[in-house]
Amino acid sequence: MDWLSGMNPAEGLQGALRWIVLFPLFGAAVNGLLGKRLGRANVHLVACGAVFASFVISAIALYTVSFGDASRITDLWWRWFWIGGVPVEMSLTIDRLSAVMMCVVTGVGFLIHIFSTEYMSHDEGYWRYFAYLNLFVAAMSLLVLGSNLLVMFVGWEGVGLASYLLIGFWYTDEEKAFAGRKAFVVNRVGDFGFLLGIFTLVGLFGTIDFEQLQALAASITPDAVLDAGIFSGWTLGAVITMACLFLFLGATGKSAQLPLYVWLPDAMAGPTPVSALIHAATMVTAGVYMVARLSFLYAWSPTAMATVAVVGALTAIFAALMAYAQNDIKKVLAYSTVSQLGFMFIGVGVGAWWAAIYHLVTHAFFKACLFLGSGSVMHAMRDETDIRLFGGLRKEMWHTWATFGISTIAITGVLPLSGFFSKDAILHGAHANPNIFFPWVPTFTYLIGLVAALSTSFYMWRMFHLTFHGERRGMLEHRAHEGGNAMVGPLWILAGLAVGSAVWGLPLSGGARFENFLEPVFRAADENIARMTALGAEKLGVPVPHEPAHDFAAMLPGYLIALVVALIGFGIAWYLYLGPGKQIPAKIAQGAPAVYRAFANKFYVDEFYRAVVVVPLHTTARFLWRVVDSFTIDKLFVNGSAVLTGWMAQLFRYFQDGNVQRYAVVMAVSAVVILWVFLG
Amino acid sequence: MGSVPLSHYLALGSALFAVGFAALLVRRNALVVFMGVELMLNAANMTFLAFSRAHQTMSGQAAAFFVIAVAAAEAAVGLAIMIALVRNRNTLNVDEVDTLKY
Repeated sequence: MDWLSGMNPAEGLQGALRWIVLFPLFGAAVNGLLGKRLGRANVHLVACGAVFASFVISAIALYTVSFGDASRITDLWWRWFWIGGVPVEMSLTIDRLSAVMMCVVTGVGFLIHIFSTEYMSHDEGYWRYFAYLNLFVAAMSLLVLGSNLLVMFVGWEGVGLASYLLIGFWYTDEEKAFAGRKAFVVNRVGDFGFLLGIFTLVGLFGTIDFEQLQALAASITPDAVLDAGIFSGWTLGAVITMACLFLFLGATGKSAQLPLYVWLPDAMAGPTPVSALIHAATMVTAGVYMVARLSFLYAWSPTAMATVAVVGALTAIFAALMAYAQNDIKKVLAYSTVSQLGFMFIGVGVGAWWAAIYHLVTHAFFKACLFLGSGSVMHAMRDETDIRLFGGLRKEMWHTWATFGISTIAITGVLPLSGFFSKDAILHGAHANPNIFFPWVPTFTYLIGLVAALSTSFYMWRMFHLTFHGERRGMLEHRAHEGGNAMVGPLWILAGLAVGSAVWGLPLSGGARFENFLEPVFRAADENIARMTALGAEKLGVPVPHEPAHDFAAMLPGYLIALVVALIGFGIAWYLYLGPGKQIPAKIAQGAPAVYRAFANKFYVDEFYRAVVVVPLHTTARFLWRVVDSFTIDKLFVNGSAVLTGWMAQLFRYFQDGNVQRYAVVMAVSAVVILWVFLG
Repeated sequence: MGSVPLSHYLALGSALFAVGFAALLVRRNALVVFMGVELMLNAANMTFLAFSRAHQTMSGQAAAFFVIAVAAAEAAVGLAIMIALVRNRNTLNVDEVDTLKY
């Protein structure tokens, strides 16, 4: 039982960390290789068991870093390779940030596995589905636990692969296979930026290890001009800004931000539990996690921070607007996810690190619940996703209605659910955190954030009302039925978490519990921000701003505003879709068809990308294929040289008459001539 | 015993070579053509040996052994070809064996 020694509790957590990755990886291998013969019961036993085992270790890890002696545990698995004198180690680190992430990934992941056992029970690719799902959990664990950028990148690519496989899960449908490819290709653009960011950091610091980077970043003079290395002549601050922006490009791809968000709505082609796990709760938050992980570095670059915050704000409002006129229940949730991720990026962009991570966690709970709820509705309505056909489902699906409602209240930010505290923590950070470098950023992000929150409230309630309230509008002959325990159970647990996780964000006098919990992780970043601000204040000639207060009294005005905003959104949605104003949406659609079409067609962004990126690339590829490859290389060079040789041979064959003695004469005469010339 | 001068050997060698070459060029019977080739090889051999003797080195004799080995191999292959020719074409006239022409 040598292989179990890593699990020995006497050795502590250190050797057990790798098993968080290995359990789902083995699960994926077993199901992927043998799943077809195992039978359904064994397949989901293996898959759920593997994820649950990971969850148990993650929970122990969370407990250990919360209450144990060490707040940071590293498991050096093996030394991977050396490159240019930089050692790259396959090592995993758990600290409070990654422990929280891990518990969300494996915990929510486990619930979604359970949900899937019923949701996917009629699918013939059952074993394949669970193999992919386990592969995703393994890759995500690697992404979260990796203690250097390269291990993180391996996980980063791994989740991209799993996402691709699961979006195109029903690959016989050309449109769904295309959605998978689109997600993969768009993500590649971001990954390219991520790699460039890693290279920049290697070139600058000579290390990619988070702990070493943090130590090096503690004593930086941003204005110092580098005199050696590949960046000689640059200022340190400029290189750090460049690295941060490259890495953020990676984040925009993975976390579906402007300008690379376009793949996420199409990713809804995958099975709904996949959308819940990958495209709502976990994978798409990887970008936020990465920025938070490197917060100590971002702290030194006000430009990069401002970019993150502004891109987040713009994405939040843009995606929310696009959700207005969507009629596909999953598409609304997809745009909502993009929008909420924008909120998280506002959080990390303004230095409200804990708030962003807190929103990440609460969002994982309520958005997973919403997606599973939509899956439950689809399951009951023969995979129909058009909310115009629904209505009045409350009577038939009480559990789904209740949990969906709870999560909707949470996401729209209504007291006292978790979304209220997490979203307000971000908005508070946005307007209260001082920014002496870009003084317009706090106001801008706060106002945009408020409008986005209003929009969120509107479109979520619109969808909720259209789906569950009123009278059924289509599929009148169809009788919806609630799912079994495997579907209802996870819904209630997630709804409970969406309510319960509010306790971590209550504005207590010493700061929220979650803030204090993550304080050790983000202390370095906050110190770096203070240093940067002090340097900047000196340079710009402005006084060093005060730390903003975030106790209850300071938060109260923001709370009231946010609450009013959320209720206004609810009111508008109720008025337009349930109340006396039922005719107005149709009138708007008729009265201003151009505006309606712009909303419904998502502002033609996909069409724009098609014209600017896809079509030119397609044309270039066609040119290279037809002209360069098929014609020039194949025809001209390869076949051409063969044809030329043939012609020459035609010409010379007349010299051959087959008479050996004549050949001998020619040879003899030639030899004599040659000898004559050279010897004579 | 008076030694034969080198020039005599060379004269004999070139004479043999010329005879062999003439046989190669003008005779039509493949067997005789083949004999001409053998004659040329042995003329070359003789020249090797004459030089070897004149210069008091062994390398010429070594070369002669190679030539003998090659001649043996050639005889084996050449005779086999001729048997095949007779069986397939029932002729040994080299003028009639010109299938390789254009």
